[in-house]
Amino acid sequence: MLQAINLHKKFKTKEVVRQVNMQLEAGESVGLIGPNGAGKSTTISMLSSLIMPTSGDVEWQGVSITKNPESLRKVLGIVPQEIALYPELSARENLAFFGRIYGLKGPTLNERIEEVLQKIGLTDRQKDIVKTFSGGMKRRLNIGAALLHKPSILIMDEPTVGIDPQSRAYILDTVKQLVEEGMTLLYTSHYMEEVELLCDKIYIMDQGAIIAHGTKDELKSLVSDNQTIELKAHILSTKFESALINQFPKATVRKEEDLLTVTLAKSEEPLATIFALAANNDVMITSAIVKIPTLEDVFLNLTGRALRD
Amino acid sequence: MLFSLIGKQMKMLIRNKQPLIILLVMPIVLITILSLALAGVMDNGAEEAIQARLVLVDESTWEKEKASIQEFLEKEGIIGPPLEALLTQIENNNPIQLLENNILASSEIEKYISVVHKKPEDLDTIRQDKEVDGILSVPPSFRLNYVKSAYFDKQIEPDLDLYLSQENEIRASIIQSVISEWQYGFTQSLALSKAGLPIEEVMGNTKKVEKVEQVLEDHEREIPSSIYYTVGMLVMFALYVPAFLAGFALQEVQWKVYDRLILAGVSSTLYTLSIFITGTLVALVQQIIMLSYGKFALKIEWIGLEGMIVIVLSYSIFVGGLAALLTTLQFRSKSDGILNAFNGFVVSIFAFLGGSFINIGDISETLANIGDFTPNGAAMTAILSIQKGEELAVIWPFMAVLYGYVSLCVLLAIVLFPRRGVTV
Ligand SMILES: Nc1ncnc2c1ncn2[C@@H]1O[C@H](COP(=O)(O)OP(=O)(O)OP(=O)(O)O)[C@@H](O)[C@H]1O
Ligand SMILES: [Mg+2]
Repeated sequence: MLQAINLHKKFKTKEVVRQVNMQLEAGESVGLIGPNGAGKSTTISMLSSLIMPTSGDVEWQGVSITKNPESLRKVLGIVPQEIALYPELSARENLAFFGRIYGLKGPTLNERIEEVLQKIGLTDRQKDIVKTFSGGMKRRLNIGAALLHKPSILIMDEPTVGIDPQSRAYILDTVKQLVEEGMTLLYTSHYMEEVELLCDKIYIMDQGAIIAHGTKDELKSLVSDNQTIELKAHILSTKFESALINQFPKATVRKEEDLLTVTLAKSEEPLATIFALAANNDVMITSAIVKIPTLEDVFLNLTGRALRD
Repeated sequence: MLFSLIGKQMKMLIRNKQPLIILLVMPIVLITILSLALAGVMDNGAEEAIQARLVLVDESTWEKEKASIQEFLEKEGIIGPPLEALLTQIENNNPIQLLENNILASSEIEKYISVVHKKPEDLDTIRQDKEVDGILSVPPSFRLNYVKSAYFDKQIEPDLDLYLSQENEIRASIIQSVISEWQYGFTQSLALSKAGLPIEEVMGNTKKVEKVEQVLEDHEREIPSSIYYTVGMLVMFALYVPAFLAGFALQEVQWKVYDRLILAGVSSTLYTLSIFITGTLVALVQQIIMLSYGKFALKIEWIGLEGMIVIVLSYSIFVGGLAALLTTLQFRSKSDGILNAFNGFVVSIFAFLGGSFINIGDISETLANIGDFTPNGAAMTAILSIQKGEELAVIWPFMAVLYGYVSLCVLLAIVLFPRRGVTV
């Protein structure tokens, strides 16, 4: 079991990760989601013993890894956000190199390389120099390089960033298969649907802190407790806004040009009241959309911002 | 694991065009251009230097002595046809004749010694002439005395006077070796001619040529521009190896491949060691290629194999150490600023002080001494010393300088390696 306890990271004076607590059980697949700069990669680096936390700790099987990272490193596979490969080497040479530094050699190494090439679908292109690969192929090889030593925990940092839909689907399939085979997975993304597809448990991170976590169902119930109503009107008055807030003290109200977004508990049935308030305040509503919440709305709901621009 | 790391680094170097161009193509082009362009300036001297100038002042000419020799022979009771025959024989086979016509005029010796005849009264002015390397004075009755001792067993040593100039040791030695061989030859011939061997056989040329070659080997060889610039570029361009390897290391960190290495259990020591060894190997191969280029394309004859092996290997080890140090410094600074400063500034200064472009000793003795304390300068001076034909022992002080730098690099690399992990 891998556990982050009050993980905190400061770069100079900038607090990048704040008091993060996370748990990764054997066989579990966990998603870590958050916008650009949330601190996902930094958290992952600390979890995988690559950088030291400013405070807090990471425990593997109940033992702190800050002093003894070896036992974790042996079973850990990591897919960095960057293409961590040698562009001048062929796909096979890259895999062979990463296999060798894990001590694999001879027929065992060759066998593993074949298996991995098969898994990432690059058997045909194994002799080609990585520089000549498409973005999607590089991403696949980037994953393959983490699999040679048969890790039991796989940490993937945005493995589908910046690639075409087919490659993305291929990668998601591959990862899903790994999970089904029993791999423990920590998967970082800013695509909620990827995490939804792959992960049992999801952590939502924003500005360095975990702002929500739970199983898919728990998070869904979190959003499905709320509803979002988008109102469009000819002229929106602040008086109308205040009246709304007075009427629904637990709601959040956001205004963007002629669009007013009201998020409030699902138990309320506010449409009639809203229209009445509009009429009282001389606001003519031109459209009203009641939105069925999605997982992405959780983020919006929690932070008031969209997950992606 | 170490071998995989080294092999990977080698592949990265070979598969990139830029390192190949800078580490091999550029120096080879420069060697060729510089050694051809400056051959005129540097090499004329070298060609002439080998040929020694000998002035022959013969106060005992055949014309002068013929009468007294004839008189002596008649006194000894030789008259008529036998007297004529003996006189002809002496005219053609006396040692001076042999020296001039057979020895100095032979094509093998002509390469090394040029002969000018002067009159005894010019002797003082000749001695002032710095172009003259040796003066052989043959005293008045030399031939007569020779005849007396050679044919009639009179104990009169025919004595000669050889003056050698101090201007150029090597040329003076060439003259000395030929003349003393010749002198030894005719002294021997005095005995052997009595035993019936003809004098010209006793005084063959092969031995003298060997002697001259021996002298050339024992003494400093002049360094032609081809050798000078091959060595100059070789030590200079090896200094570009570390920046390439350190540059790759920085890329590895930036691309996060370094993270993979750390997770795989590659320690920072092993990683740095792999860079050290790669640097050493690359510098070694690079230098061997350049030396071979010199040998086959510029027809340089490299001498002193043991010395060359020691120097080239030691310099390669230094390059490896420097690669390790630059990698460490750059991991600390987290940018390639250090590499650019090194390639742009340090290499230029070192190359200048070390004498890669111009013989700094011609400008200032002090700068040359400082230059010998740069690693490339030390290696260059050591190689040139060996190429001049000096003994192996002369390189040890320079090797001490090199290994001083190696120790410094290794020590700093160990002390300065960022302990808390490398990130960018
Ligand atoms: N070594 C560092 N020094 C200083 N600041 C850093 C360093 N590494 C990351 N940061 C900063 O920390 C913040 C979080 O970065 P991090 O890479 O962890 O975010 P992320 O969630 O992975 O973002 P993305 O989705 O863009 O990958 C960013 O503002 C980043 O600029
Ligand atoms: Mg990231």
